[in-house]
Amino acid sequence: MRYLKKTRYLQDINLFKHNGQRFWYGLLLLVMCLAPLGLDRFLLGELSLVYIYAIAGVGLMLLVGYSGQVSLGHAAFLAIGAYAHAYFLNLGWPFPLSLFTSMLLTGLIGGLVAIPVLRMSGIYLAVATLAFAVIVEQTLTHWESVTGGFRGMLVPKPEFFSADLNAYIPFYYLCGGVLILVMLAGLNLLRSPTGRAMVAVRDSETSAQSMGINLARTKSTAFAISAGFTGLAGGLFAHKIGYLAPDAFTLLTSIQLLLMVVVGGLGSMHGVIYGAIFIGLLPSGIAVFRDAVPPSIGQIPGLEPGVFGLILVLFLIYEPLGIYGRWQKIRLYFEEFPLYRRSTYKRQKTYLRTERLR
Amino acid sequence: MSLLVAEGISVSFGGVKAVQDVSFSINEGEVFSIVGPNGAGKTTIFNLISRIYNTTGGRLFFDGVDITRVPAHSIAHLGIARTFQNTELFDRETVLKNLLIGAHIHRTSNVLSDLFFLPGVRRQELAFRKAAEDVIDLLDLRSYRDQVIANLPYGVRKMVEIARALCLKPRLLLLDEPSSGLNPEETEDLSFWLEDIVEDLGITVAMVEHDMKLVGQASDRVLAMADGKVIALGTPAEVQTHPEVLRAYLGD
Ligand SMILES: Nc1ncnc2c1ncn2[C@@H]1O[C@H](COP(=O)(O)OP(=O)(O)OP(=O)(O)O)[C@@H](O)[C@H]1O
Ligand SMILES: [Mg+2]
Repeated sequence: MRYLKKTRYLQDINLFKHNGQRFWYGLLLLVMCLAPLGLDRFLLGELSLVYIYAIAGVGLMLLVGYSGQVSLGHAAFLAIGAYAHAYFLNLGWPFPLSLFTSMLLTGLIGGLVAIPVLRMSGIYLAVATLAFAVIVEQTLTHWESVTGGFRGMLVPKPEFFSADLNAYIPFYYLCGGVLILVMLAGLNLLRSPTGRAMVAVRDSETSAQSMGINLARTKSTAFAISAGFTGLAGGLFAHKIGYLAPDAFTLLTSIQLLLMVVVGGLGSMHGVIYGAIFIGLLPSGIAVFRDAVPPSIGQIPGLEPGVFGLILVLFLIYEPLGIYGRWQKIRLYFEEFPLYRRSTYKRQKTYLRTERLR
Repeated sequence: MSLLVAEGISVSFGGVKAVQDVSFSINEGEVFSIVGPNGAGKTTIFNLISRIYNTTGGRLFFDGVDITRVPAHSIAHLGIARTFQNTELFDRETVLKNLLIGAHIHRTSNVLSDLFFLPGVRRQELAFRKAAEDVIDLLDLRSYRDQVIANLPYGVRKMVEIARALCLKPRLLLLDEPSSGLNPEETEDLSFWLEDIVEDLGITVAMVEHDMKLVGQASDRVLAMADGKVIALGTPAEVQTHPEVLRAYLGD
């Protein structure tokens, strides 16, 4: 194990716990900045997409991983952000104002949706959020005056001080910059009372209430922030795909987003990045797979959703801590080699004198 | 002066009358114990005070304020903290994080200032941390500070739960079977800590407890219950020798 000798309370409060971390994150930032030098247009585009997913991932992670509320409808928030942003741009609003307003609007809708929905939990909550996503999808198809219905709607090119952000290198930096800001905001929440209240609600509602935490308010705040970040991702996503149509935001998208946080590792911000890389690469992986196997298997229509669902279930059963959890175990294995104890991460069972519960 | 007054409180679950017409008052600065056989309704009384359940009859007053119908999350803000019989900690977080959640009611920051981690939030975090460290020192939890609750033995969890409740800086502390799961030495430590909590911190304590030795040592007054009803109320010695109490424990 690694031991960190702490000498000041601020070490727990500050974002970076020690200089080693500062070094590694600095290096990561440098790599992010230099990536356009080494990557071609296609790969840079893919990386931008990974950043966009990660922005939504931070939002979804706060909700699912830290507040314990499942959402099967996050594609709806992605869609609201995307459509709102495109709509405002079409009205001639400046780019930053439009993006910011879309984020606030989506956050507001998220907070409002939470009010009826947060009385439910577990599977009921999942179904309710799913229903919400269906309603939004229907609205997108039928509210033609705003959304263009089935025909869809063109997303104006982003411009900022006459710089053309749509060119692939500026767009890459735009997505990267927004991701860093969102990540910082997420980490800030987690080290302050708002985030702790979410965690408390996740682990024990009864206890959270007795600590003076307002369940309804905490959950709707979590929904609002989560929706807001996802809406922000939606705005960027709109530019990425260039043309909005309802079929870009289906149940499959919601599952993909959920897959990202589960695969990355619930309850870890690092996991968001791993998860985003994973779902960013997965479609290419599936395409390679389609080509490699005989057409009778490769051309099965529902292959993608099937694979997504399968991976989700496998992770939930075998590695609930996700890729990040797996990485920590592997790191520990090498650090302790050859003395690694297999049971290190096994949950210890405790026996109580009174097992009778409520 | 009475800090908490219960006037004929009752509640039933389906057909079970868990608590029937129970009245008592807890004086400021005392240790008030509730005893009784399994299923007597002791925990239910705590759940009524902390507003997890609604009373079906009677009224509750805290410091003169009627709390019979206030929302559950307001109870902590009024100055009542509690622990749970089988511990209800935030299992996936560290001891320290649990204690910081205990300080939640003292927050002055809001979502926006938290998002940007403004200087005020940083100062608040430092203040919370200092308060948590004081409690850690008091209850000797230093070596567990950074450990995740799920990995801790049961006895330690019980102490962490008391520590978390102390972080609320309550006026009334409700302890549900604090000694269950503790070994004899730990129980002895607990009785000293109880003294510290009452005398040094000036907190009034109400506890449900099965360990009669601890009850006798620590409490000023004892309420004995059976089948949801009060059967005796008085000093530990009075209650322990009360014929009804003996009958309830030993059976006929
Ligand atoms: N939520 C509930 N739903 C249904 N019945 C309940 C509930 N809570 C308590 N009861 C019932 O109320 C009665 C009193 O329970 P309570 O937990 O208060 O007993 P207790 O005195 O704390 O016992 P113990 O010493 O075993 O903890 C029991 O018969 C119990 O089954
Ligand atoms: Mg009980």
